[in-house]
Amino acid sequence: MPFNQKPQKFNAKINTVTIGSGDKTVTLGGGSTFPFYTFDAPAENAPKVGVEISDMGLEGASEGIKAYYEGASTMADIAKKAAAMEGADFVALLLEGGDPNGADKPVDELIAIVKEVADAIDCPLVVEGCKNVEKDAELLPKVAEVLQGRNVLIMSEKEENYKAIGAAAGLAYDQIVGAESAVDINLAKQLNVITTQLGVKPQKIVMNVGSACVGYGYEYVVSTMDRIKGAALSQNDNMLQMPIITPVASETWGVKEASASEADMPEWGPQDERGIDMEIMTAAADLVSGSDAVILRHPQSVATISKMIKALV
Amino acid sequence: MLINRIFSGNDAVFGLTEQAVDGAVKEHGADKAVGFPHTAYCLPCYYAVTGVKVKTLGELKEALGVVKSLMTREHALDDALMSGVATALCAEFIEALKYIDGVQPYEEPCYGHLADSIIREMGVPLVTGDIPGVAVILGSAPTAKEGVELIKSYQAQGILVTLVGGIIDQAQELGLKMGYNVRIVPLGKDVTSVIHVVSVALRAALIFGNVTPGDAASLIAYTSERVPAFVNAFKPIDDVVLAAGAGAIKLGFPVISNETENIVEVPGALIACPDVAEFNKVSLEARNIKIKITKIDIPVAFASAFEGEIIRRPDMQVEFDGSRVDCAELVQTKALEEVEDHKIEVIGPEVDTFEVGSKHSLAYVVEVAGKKMQPDFEPVIERKFHNYINCIEGVYHTGQRDMLRIRISKEAFGAGFRARHIGEVLYAQVKNEFEAVVDKCQVKIYTDPAACTRIRHEVAVPAFEKRDARLETLTDESVDVYYSCILCQAFSPSHVCVVTPERLGLCGAVSWLDAKATNELDPAGPCQVITKERPIDENIGAYEDVDEAVQKYSQGALEHVTLYSIMQDPMTSCGCFECICGIEPFSNGVVIANREYAGMTPLGMTFPEMASMTGGGVQTPGFMGHGKHFIASKKFMKAEGGIERIVWMPKELKDTVAERLNRTAKEVYGIDNFTDMIGDETVATDPETLVAFLTEHNHPALSMDPMM
Repeated sequence: MPFNQKPQKFNAKINTVTIGSGDKTVTLGGGSTFPFYTFDAPAENAPKVGVEISDMGLEGASEGIKAYYEGASTMADIAKKAAAMEGADFVALLLEGGDPNGADKPVDELIAIVKEVADAIDCPLVVEGCKNVEKDAELLPKVAEVLQGRNVLIMSEKEENYKAIGAAAGLAYDQIVGAESAVDINLAKQLNVITTQLGVKPQKIVMNVGSACVGYGYEYVVSTMDRIKGAALSQNDNMLQMPIITPVASETWGVKEASASEADMPEWGPQDERGIDMEIMTAAADLVSGSDAVILRHPQSVATISKMIKALV
Repeated sequence: MLINRIFSGNDAVFGLTEQAVDGAVKEHGADKAVGFPHTAYCLPCYYAVTGVKVKTLGELKEALGVVKSLMTREHALDDALMSGVATALCAEFIEALKYIDGVQPYEEPCYGHLADSIIREMGVPLVTGDIPGVAVILGSAPTAKEGVELIKSYQAQGILVTLVGGIIDQAQELGLKMGYNVRIVPLGKDVTSVIHVVSVALRAALIFGNVTPGDAASLIAYTSERVPAFVNAFKPIDDVVLAAGAGAIKLGFPVISNETENIVEVPGALIACPDVAEFNKVSLEARNIKIKITKIDIPVAFASAFEGEIIRRPDMQVEFDGSRVDCAELVQTKALEEVEDHKIEVIGPEVDTFEVGSKHSLAYVVEVAGKKMQPDFEPVIERKFHNYINCIEGVYHTGQRDMLRIRISKEAFGAGFRARHIGEVLYAQVKNEFEAVVDKCQVKIYTDPAACTRIRHEVAVPAFEKRDARLETLTDESVDVYYSCILCQAFSPSHVCVVTPERLGLCGAVSWLDAKATNELDPAGPCQVITKERPIDENIGAYEDVDEAVQKYSQGALEHVTLYSIMQDPMTSCGCFECICGIEPFSNGVVIANREYAGMTPLGMTFPEMASMTGGGVQTPGFMGHGKHFIASKKFMKAEGGIERIVWMPKELKDTVAERLNRTAKEVYGIDNFTDMIGDETVATDPETLVAFLTEHNHPALSMDPMM
């Protein structure tokens, strides 16, 4: 009996969201198939890969990452090198130094870094908060303000601070809002509902539905993304049709497999390689589960994942 | 009369505007540029209302014709309000002419036109509620002192205050510090400068509301619903001010005035308030502005870190103990006019007069009022008191209703903590957490023993009895809607609870009233309304509406759920169930095991083994998770014959539910002492012994039809 292919058709689509301005933009989403089901329909927009840099410079970065950025002495230099990385579609600036439980850098200082980075590059920019909801509520509206016209993606809008960040990024300064929830389809949907109730257009929202490093309760991430894509496509749930972006690096570089030194764990092999492995495994799993973009740090991970995407779409 | 005054005010302003525009055209020519600085919206009000950008004097002259067309003269309220809008547009034209040739017509402290960047900056705190409202104060207060006090009262609440006219001189006279950074913005001394705040509201609608310029209906809907502005206009109110006020009312901004002559009140829109000291309260109420409480005014700390704190007898300053003396805690719904917000009264002696280590009566009644408040929410609010009072450093609370106990530590007393501070805490927490339903709240704290006795027996206990009676009479048939609950989907992705009055959530923690309150307080949250308009089979509790809801909330994992059957499409379980009920084939009955029960059941399975078949959002006919309270419900597996099927329960569980279960059995089947017929682990943990016991006691399940 001959094989008779029956494409799985959905009368629904993931929203397309474009980040960046001018000639260099990236477009996320737009598909109406499950991830990489190119046999059902050709992919509208291939998933994208971003390179994460931090306001803390190269402090705490792995050897391989430091080697890539060698010679970069300012945030502007680092940003330029990140943008030039093979396979990079956009740059993501993590403002981790703002965390009151960490370096607790003042907002003005961080804004100066944001400007420096934004001025140094012309590729699309994503800005991630410091993990502290109160500080982000103060910091990210300012980021949205100083980057007017750049059409950046402002991440870290959470249920606790969605009004401040949603209104500033999504309404006042016309940026894209990255709605962040903690690995739960209902929380993701609820945040989208209340953000749109503020007046932010669904087409201006990208979701970060939460992530974990593989091996660290990662099944929840797969099931959440899977169900979100399922609801978006098969049930045409338009409060879940926002594309998904997943910051991978901030999860994977902190786990012991990536952070234990070779001196402490000789049987595990070189530290840099382990970090790359964790980053690549997690990113690959995120993409096949439904992420429309991932954020990575190591040049080798960026190159590998972008190669994987090209091979699959 | 009011309408005629508005028309005449409008006509006067239009006449002046026409003159001014003609004069300007004559002086500068029709091609002369006109507009405000630092805005992308030309003449923002005119652009927002009509969608037309006016850039030259010639176009302004044409625009005047459009304004004229709004000035219909039918003697109707809407005509009057549209004339108000026309008056506002005229004011904008007059103000625009002041800016010709790029001059800066306003000088310190007045701002005049406000730039787009200020609106973008202000928009965020307005959306988050950090700026809870915008006050427009117009004219001269009876005295400078009263005017400044009014301004300061708004400033203290975080409200942005804009000033027009004589009030600016009054504020300067008393040396009030003004400026955008302190949220007091003097606009200008001419009445037409009020348009600069209207311009802010309308540009906010374009920027934040995505309103299309020219779509006047959406524009007005946006300003009415989303811009929490109001006007305080001091007497004398002349026709021009009245006409401008009509424009404000059209945009949804109420006007509060101390003018009493020649004026007719329009409820909710034009409000007379002779006493300026009352302006703040009346204005906030009229505009439905709620002020966030950021700091609770008590001398000790308030945080969840203190929730588990225990105060031992030697550390205790004073104790209130409901098991020994009369105590009570109660929430009561009142009419809006009966409640004075943030009034805290102590009736009886303060704690100072009590001997160290002594025991006393205490009753506190939290009286709440709100447009969306319902008596059904009272117990939901009341249940939080335990948590609120426990979060106070050095204060401990146990129990509820009239069986409460509170201790205040010597340390807290030493820091100045008194009975009235309990009121402060309850006030602040109730206002903050129940903001969606509570508009006003006052607290009465009784420490007088006779008053406590009266409150307990004459107020609180009857209220509790009434509430319990309501719960008893609340049946699935007596309500119009059920609620979904998907709180547990984080770990049980396809589970959906359908919560009805007679079937509470299987965790035992979410009753129908809780779900209703959750829905009201958090409309996009885990509890959503499920209608019951399309029954398929009411006996087994099958509804098209319910099926649609479970399909939707389980993202398609579930298709059909019945409310009352354990065999046909039983309701799923997350894993948090208090009890599991499973079919026992030898007796035609069911066995119930509760989570606390560690032993074996006649099914040959322990609770964890039964749980593995029941949880995770899967439907296993013959097994069902449920709350303890559900056992005595008339709806308990009603489709299969109801509670008559229960043949075995652990003894402890049986004792807990005995009274209610026996009552239901008597009422429905006429059986006395039904629980005596039900086996437990002291009787049997295997089916043969159980059936022998049931036969001996003539258990009704034995003669019923087989379940399978």
